[in-house]
Amino acid sequence: MRVLVTGASGFLGTAVVDRLCTAGHEVVAMVRPAARLEGAPWDDPAVAVVRGDLRERGPWMAEISGVDAVVHLAAAASGDLSTQFQGTVLGTEHLLDALDRSSVQRFVHISSFSVYDFAAVRAGAVLDENSPLERQPEHRDAYTTTKLVQEHLVRDAFADRADTLVVVRPGAIFGPGKHWDHGLALTLGGHLGVLFAPRSTMRLTAVANCADAIAAAVVAPRAGGTTLNIVDDALPTHREFLRMCRRAGADVPATVAVPWWAVAMIGRLTGWIDRRWCAGRAHLPEFLDRTRQQARWKPLAYTNHRAKDVLGWSPRITLGQAVADMVEAGPRR
Amino acid sequence: MSRGPVRRVAVVGCGAIAYEHLGHLGRLAGVGLVGVCDTSPAAARFAAERFGAAAWFTDLTTMLDATQPDAVHVLTPPHTHEVLSLQCLAAGVDVVCEKPAAPDSAALERMLAAADTYGRHLVESQNLRYNDPVLAVAEAIAAGRLGEVREIDLLLSLDLAGGRFGDPNLVGPGVHLPGGAVHDFLPHLSYLFLLFAGLDDQSPLPADLEVTGRLGNLGGNPRVGSDHLDAMVFSGGLRGRLRLAPDLSPDAFRIVVRGTRGSVETDLYHPYLRHEGGANVGKRVAVEHLVSGTKLALTGVTNLRDKVQRHDTYHGLGRMIDEIHTAFAAGRGAPITPMMMRTSAALVDRLVALGSRS
Repeated sequence: MRVLVTGASGFLGTAVVDRLCTAGHEVVAMVRPAARLEGAPWDDPAVAVVRGDLRERGPWMAEISGVDAVVHLAAAASGDLSTQFQGTVLGTEHLLDALDRSSVQRFVHISSFSVYDFAAVRAGAVLDENSPLERQPEHRDAYTTTKLVQEHLVRDAFADRADTLVVVRPGAIFGPGKHWDHGLALTLGGHLGVLFAPRSTMRLTAVANCADAIAAAVVAPRAGGTTLNIVDDALPTHREFLRMCRRAGADVPATVAVPWWAVAMIGRLTGWIDRRWCAGRAHLPEFLDRTRQQARWKPLAYTNHRAKDVLGWSPRITLGQAVADMVEAGPRR
Repeated sequence: MSRGPVRRVAVVGCGAIAYEHLGHLGRLAGVGLVGVCDTSPAAARFAAERFGAAAWFTDLTTMLDATQPDAVHVLTPPHTHEVLSLQCLAAGVDVVCEKPAAPDSAALERMLAAADTYGRHLVESQNLRYNDPVLAVAEAIAAGRLGEVREIDLLLSLDLAGGRFGDPNLVGPGVHLPGGAVHDFLPHLSYLFLLFAGLDDQSPLPADLEVTGRLGNLGGNPRVGSDHLDAMVFSGGLRGRLRLAPDLSPDAFRIVVRGTRGSVETDLYHPYLRHEGGANVGKRVAVEHLVSGTKLALTGVTNLRDKVQRHDTYHGLGRMIDEIHTAFAAGRGAPITPMMMRTSAALVDRLVALGSRS
């Protein structure tokens, strides 16, 4: 198939392009004009690079014509609401305008776990594809807000061709270059780490495993019309992940652990102060904000059963190997 | 805003600055947000849902016809202000336009003439006039605590190339204004200087007003256009230094006003207020330092509280919008008068002209 990958030069995008090439697809890799491309997979003759920025209309809109499938990864993960809206929502709007949707056989939209309403799932329960979506994203952050709008936009666009669309919601993607602070919530002065909710499970997926799942979603016959959460098999707790990173050689500082109940208590207290004195409009850091605390540290269970069943996919890289690869690539602190 | 018939207000342009306007409009009593408009359906729909607008549109004509607003906030990129404002005015609608309302005085005059022709108001958003530190400085001047104002030093340090203005992935200039990215901020420097100098309701500018300096590109990013201004303004005994620097840290909007009897200093991004005055002898200066130091420490607490409570640099915008719509509803002229806009635009013209000399 001729597959368009947006956000192709990003952390996950590069792995997806590589995986699609390996699977024998012809890849149209859309990257930003200033992106630097070196080595694999960019030297693969199966990769055609289209330079353009989804935030604005331009020649790229004609250059992506004739693709059979799309993997839509491009999004903005940082910046204020306006910045993320442009990068995530307007970019998607322009992409959908540019595509001849009637000729696209499969559109794999990369959403995120951040769209779920973590407060609505009781502690200890399984968060899966049937869990409710965040109803008040304005109380979370710009990323959640824009990823929700983006997902709605894509679903609306394919409302009459639901079997074309696959919505993939990866967990926290890690790998060489992206280590999620080894599971730490904070690092104080570089010498003391604070580990929140040490017994809560991290919803991790190694970048190679996630790329495999996405590549599988492009062709899997039963994937059309589904929403799939992507996490790896043996999910560690925050403490286990930290220990694995440390054993693999990561330079992790001495650590103080704060149990979930204490984190939650802090969140309730700041929430009460917010309502009492700030009319519920307080802008707090993540570790003090009850709503955002739950999204990151609440003890929940995660499953990849549906993705395995629908895609015939299984994580091929073990957690230990993925951690070793990540730590070996650095950066070391 | 005073109670009375609900003012029907609409917004065109749903980008970053619109979120600020819409947030305040949504909280104003006496204002009904009847519509929002953007060329992007997703942006218009999101703004409508987030801020409670009754309807969303992708075309201004359609919005004007469908919603029959009393006023429209024009919050689109600056080079589109004139066309959209003229369309609104011709439809019999008051206009609140983001700064700069026009790229130059000539365009502003066309817009003001249209407002006169159609019997409507046109007002440029000059929100920093309503910020706490600016009000405090203006009050100190008005109360005579500085004596006669002699020096006004305005420094805006901001990395203009770091954001959308200089994004190397985007095509064309970051902003379509003759003064480049700096131009987008010149109205702030201009109207604050004129406010503190007591010149903002005196048009034309004083005949002896002299502007010298440089407007250019320090960073080398052509997409930004001009990213640096260092200008001196002279008029009689008054001196002003108006600067925008892209290569200083931290980001700041520093204001120092010095007079014959004292000086006052503040920062709009990290507000504090330092006042020095009186005779420069004996123990007075040391005592003033103690007082200033104590106030500075307390300001740190206030700023932390303000940050948590989102009392940010845009806090004056809500006051400005409230005053504007209160005035409109009462049939009065806008608090930011055409004279103020003309004077500010005239100084901006002079500052932009430095670019052609640099």
